[in-house]
Amino acid sequence: MSFFLRISKGIDWFNEWVGVAMYWLCLAMSLIAAYNAMVRWIGGIFKWQLASNTFIELQWYIFGIVFLLGASYVLKRNGHVRIDLLFGRYSPRTQSWVDVIGFFVAFLPFYGFMTYTTFHFAQKSWQTLEISPDPGGLPYYPIKTIIPIAFALLLIQGISELIKRIAHLLGNEDYAPGHFQSSREEL
Amino acid sequence: MEWMGPAMFASLIILLLIGYPVAFTLGGISMLWIAIGQLIGAPGVEWIALESMQFRVFGIIQNQNLLAIPFFTLMGTILDKSGLAEDMLETIGMLFGRTRGGIAYAVILVGAILGAITGVVAASVVSMALISIPIMLKYGYNKRLITGTIAASATLTQVIPPSLVLIVLADALRIGYPEVSVGDMYKGAFIPGFMLTGLYMLYVLALTIWRPADVPALPPEAIKYKGMALFNKTMVSAVPPIALIFVVLGTTFMGIATPTEGGAMGVVGAIILTMWKKTFNMKMLIGAVEGATRITALVCFILLGSNAFNLVFELVGGAEWLEGFFENLPGGVVGFMIVANLACFFLAFFLEFFEISFIVIPLLAPVAYSLGIDAVWFGVMISVNMQTSFMHPPFGFALFFLRGCAPPEISSNDIYVGAIPYVFLQIIGTAIVASFPILTSTVVFDWAFGTALGWLTSIGIAFGFIAAVVFASRIGDMRMARAGKNIG
Repeated sequence: MSFFLRISKGIDWFNEWVGVAMYWLCLAMSLIAAYNAMVRWIGGIFKWQLASNTFIELQWYIFGIVFLLGASYVLKRNGHVRIDLLFGRYSPRTQSWVDVIGFFVAFLPFYGFMTYTTFHFAQKSWQTLEISPDPGGLPYYPIKTIIPIAFALLLIQGISELIKRIAHLLGNEDYAPGHFQSSREEL
Repeated sequence: MEWMGPAMFASLIILLLIGYPVAFTLGGISMLWIAIGQLIGAPGVEWIALESMQFRVFGIIQNQNLLAIPFFTLMGTILDKSGLAEDMLETIGMLFGRTRGGIAYAVILVGAILGAITGVVAASVVSMALISIPIMLKYGYNKRLITGTIAASATLTQVIPPSLVLIVLADALRIGYPEVSVGDMYKGAFIPGFMLTGLYMLYVLALTIWRPADVPALPPEAIKYKGMALFNKTMVSAVPPIALIFVVLGTTFMGIATPTEGGAMGVVGAIILTMWKKTFNMKMLIGAVEGATRITALVCFILLGSNAFNLVFELVGGAEWLEGFFENLPGGVVGFMIVANLACFFLAFFLEFFEISFIVIPLLAPVAYSLGIDAVWFGVMISVNMQTSFMHPPFGFALFFLRGCAPPEISSNDIYVGAIPYVFLQIIGTAIVASFPILTSTVVFDWAFGTALGWLTSIGIAFGFIAAVVFASRIGDMRMARAGKNIG
């Protein structure tokens, strides 16, 4: 078990850093969007063509990266919203069981499928080196590559969570599920 | 295979209740029902259909409406983490001076403004409760009034723009109404939101006359600022955040900025504001961006899961089943509105608004469209309705939250009973919005904020309110004095 737990620790460490990178990107995205808005207004007043498609596309580009890659960080923080009407009343052991069964029944099939299908999506984009149809637009294939990578990272984080839950079920209380995010808190 | 639609919907509710994360459960259910369809050989239920999920992921990335979510959340988390609500509550409370019920009015007003800022219901319930319960208890307010007022004004967050709920609802409604924009939703929710604020304040006003002992005035020693000092304090603490909100909303309404641009400018405005107030620091900023990233990612992943769900739901004939169900309802538009709103009301007891807007609204929107129902009216009705169910005893989640952060001298009973008068106010508010759909139309909004007469009326109503508040407070004082004499 300790071998698996070391793997889990490595995964957690990695996704934590991805998360930190994402929240600075989130701030950068806000600043870029504010810049775009300013430039559009000033340009509108003086009839200058200041706004560039590159920056406009960059803002949704980063939005995509932030939410896709942020998901595995949210999972690591046990932050994906749950309906806590019953879950909040389970014992820690039952909570771990729900997560273990949920992993095999829902998580693994769905995100496995998503990784597989979006991988082909990205592959097609690479074959044509797909680029945004707008002038000054960004190429699409890098962002389409991020999609399967994000799902794969999420799957890997799911495996790390699974290892921790199993360790808990095997009697290691250090891995009892921590504070989970109820949907009520997040709203 | 007509049974598959309803069975799939039932399986969704049951499996969500188990407590596995919503985003993953939605994905798992769609895989499960494709597998079931394959097993029993239902026509058209093929794995290949789910492959269109790849385009949907890309659609979410390119969605201009959703892009506003990180911006408005970030603006809210920055202002929230910099401790602006406390300052504002204290200042507005002092503005009411020795008027009875001053703090209660201040809580309602700050709740509405803070709601406009954070747009996240739980955050505003918790922060309002933590800030205002101790103050209201200290000055001798009735406990039930305290809890009810906080539950109502904090959940109002979701009706008053720029709330997350309205962005998500506008996006969900686009399934049936391609032309609906976030800006329209904001305009439509503005007047109903302020009408509800007014109703709450009228209730406090009525209490100052009938039960003056429940709504005391601030004692003289609690008013730390007077005259010019109070004016200066107001200019520093209360005006800038309100001005920021109005600039963000105003530019959106005037069509100068899209909601996305407004939100992004709001982030910059919030950062400048906290720097000016010297509450800006790295710890605050990290907390704020972390919160915004987390909320953005989890909302988008629920949306992704619900996209898969809706895709398979349509495949197994669920959409047809729902349409048939609503077509056979008696009463046409009225019947549909009643059933749709009741459904959302009860679903909101155990699902939250993200799940309702992403799963239920896309199912209802096409039917609403075919009945010729106005999209904004429909959206605002649903949002007011869900607000009611969030504060409705015994399941309303705002009440659970209040229980979590209220001091022990407030009993659970106080929390439940305190919410009841506000639930009645809410029913009155819902009835008004239901009977006068024009309140949510841009016509009324443009009149109230776009014409001189409209502005005069708005200002007139505000001043009339202030006069009524002061007058009611005097009557309350007189009744208290008379009661005191009788006892003496």
